[in-house]
Amino acid sequence: MSVLRRAWAIVWKDLLIEARTKQSFNAMVFFAALVLFIFSFALGPDTELLQRVAGGLLWVGIAFTGILSLSRTYQNEETSGGLEGLRAYPGDPRAIYVGKLLGNIVLLLMVEAILIPAAGILFQANLWPHALGLAIVSILGTIGFSLVGTFYAALTVNLRAREVMLPLLLFPALVPVLLGAVNATTLILEGDLMGEAVVWLRVLGAFDIIFFVICIWIFPIALEE
Amino acid sequence: MCLVGPNGAGKTTLLKLVATLLRPSGGDAHVMGHSLRNDPDEIRMRTGLLTVRGFLYDDLSAAENLHFTMRMAGLRPHRDVIARALERIGLAEVADNRMRTFSTGMRKRLALGQLLVRPIEVALLDEPYSGLDAQGMRLVDEVVSEFKAAGTTVLLASHQDGEAVREAEQTGILRKGHLEILPESETLSRHLSVGGPAGAPEVE
Amino acid sequence: MGPRTTVEKTLGILALLSMLVGSYVGLVVVPADAAQGDVQRLMYVHVPAAWLAFMAFFIVFVMSVLYLIQRDARWDRVAASSAEIGVVFTVVTLLLGMMWGKPTWGVFWTWDPRLTTTAILLAIYVGYGALRSFADDEEKRARWSAIVGVIGFANVPIVYMSVTWWRTLHQPPSSPRSVAPDILWTLMLNLAAFTLVYAYLMVRRIRLAKLDGELEKRMAYNA
Repeated sequence: MSVLRRAWAIVWKDLLIEARTKQSFNAMVFFAALVLFIFSFALGPDTELLQRVAGGLLWVGIAFTGILSLSRTYQNEETSGGLEGLRAYPGDPRAIYVGKLLGNIVLLLMVEAILIPAAGILFQANLWPHALGLAIVSILGTIGFSLVGTFYAALTVNLRAREVMLPLLLFPALVPVLLGAVNATTLILEGDLMGEAVVWLRVLGAFDIIFFVICIWIFPIALEE
Repeated sequence: MCLVGPNGAGKTTLLKLVATLLRPSGGDAHVMGHSLRNDPDEIRMRTGLLTVRGFLYDDLSAAENLHFTMRMAGLRPHRDVIARALERIGLAEVADNRMRTFSTGMRKRLALGQLLVRPIEVALLDEPYSGLDAQGMRLVDEVVSEFKAAGTTVLLASHQDGEAVREAEQTGILRKGHLEILPESETLSRHLSVGGPAGAPEVE
Repeated sequence: MGPRTTVEKTLGILALLSMLVGSYVGLVVVPADAAQGDVQRLMYVHVPAAWLAFMAFFIVFVMSVLYLIQRDARWDRVAASSAEIGVVFTVVTLLLGMMWGKPTWGVFWTWDPRLTTTAILLAIYVGYGALRSFADDEEKRARWSAIVGVIGFANVPIVYMSVTWWRTLHQPPSSPRSVAPDILWTLMLNLAAFTLVYAYLMVRRIRLAKLDGELEKRMAYNA
């Protein structure tokens, strides 16, 4: 299908540029590390407390880091003529959304791959037994985050004061994702004796599907000139 | 066809309208029989746009940029097509260098090259001479002649003089959004017909 | 804006009258709650305000969808008016909720699903409003806010369900008491009153929006 092929072209281009310049990735990792450290300093000696709130802290780190990369999603298009360049090509404009979405997901997951083990070390929580559960939450949460984020980033790219508009619009939309991700993570880290985490994973999954459909459907309207 | 006119007359806007990057606020126009309002995708498939800044990525190489262009146009990127295009625009030796290292003239050539790797029926050139030296300008003229020979319609906007400008079969003067076509030749462009209020799509 | 039209005047009077009656009944006629005392009377304004806050946003949603389909500026005007008025009702709901909470439970804020969802609704409204203020072009403003309106509304039930789940996993849900007919009736009365206030404000606001739109067009012409 040509939408996927063109989306893939965009993913390839973005990841290639990112691999060469590392501008987003480095900033994200640094920022995430900063967040983790500050929390460690604040809650420091009380390791029991740290372990209890580890789930929430982790997602604070991921959320802020994610927003950082989101605002750059379309920014590297700016020097090359803006989104206009991509719109001048034939084909379904949804390919742009899918391409940018996949790029964001991959990038954020890569940062999480570093962030989560780092959190484990700093918060003295043994993460290995929960690796599978954590991986699933990460993936579902990151997808949900990127779905809405990529969409709103496109909407606000031409807006004045977009740096304030993006988080403002994102916040209410991310409540279900963050609730689900934080609760699932915390439950998983606690061992989840009653299997409650599955409920949250289902919430995340449902959110992902619903918003994927909505965003992909409305995207061409957001992109119109 | 060549468009001339002072700055701010709307030449770029007109080209972008034909490229379907802008939506007409009133009326409609047809490019190769397809309506701007209803069939923009058909038009995009057959149209190539050369802008002043070009749609190029600094951190990709010349070859990679063309590779991307072909992919986005829905084509399978062939190395020979890319190589030939790079040859034609004189960038074959720097094919694998990042665009960041290119001069303005080289970028302009690469942007021109983007039009060569796709089969287009209408070429829209916005200030193609800007940033180019004498050799570059000759290249533009040659490419325009090749387009014409192949039957591709060329719509060229320029406020610089050049051979392609002088050799245009038809010239139009654009002033503050109004287009006046000079009656210098009887041959109307086969592929471009403009209809709607005031003879030109209303610009916002 | 000029003198009020007949519709506006009628609605205005009806709204005022019904608010007076509703307030009187709620404050004086109906007996105070046995457990909570007079504070419970706040419910007669808090609940209708909440109802209208969500209703107003539902209207925003419907108008946004209509706009995206038909691209008629009228729908955008109604949506924007409803959003503005909705913010007011939302803030009132939250303030009343806090006023009710302090004497009753000792805290200003509880993470009650409905209250939390209302707070999030406020955030969505604010985002909608901010978006409009930053978009200068009329068409883009209408289009973008319509998109935010649609997505924002789609999000509300999801948020509500998520927060409900979150709360029930931590504490059992409070069982709804059966409501005495007195209370129900007073509630309905006040609800009708608030709805009339909403309608009155809407009619005025939409007319203002229409005048604003015409002014914008004239300024663009003369520019």
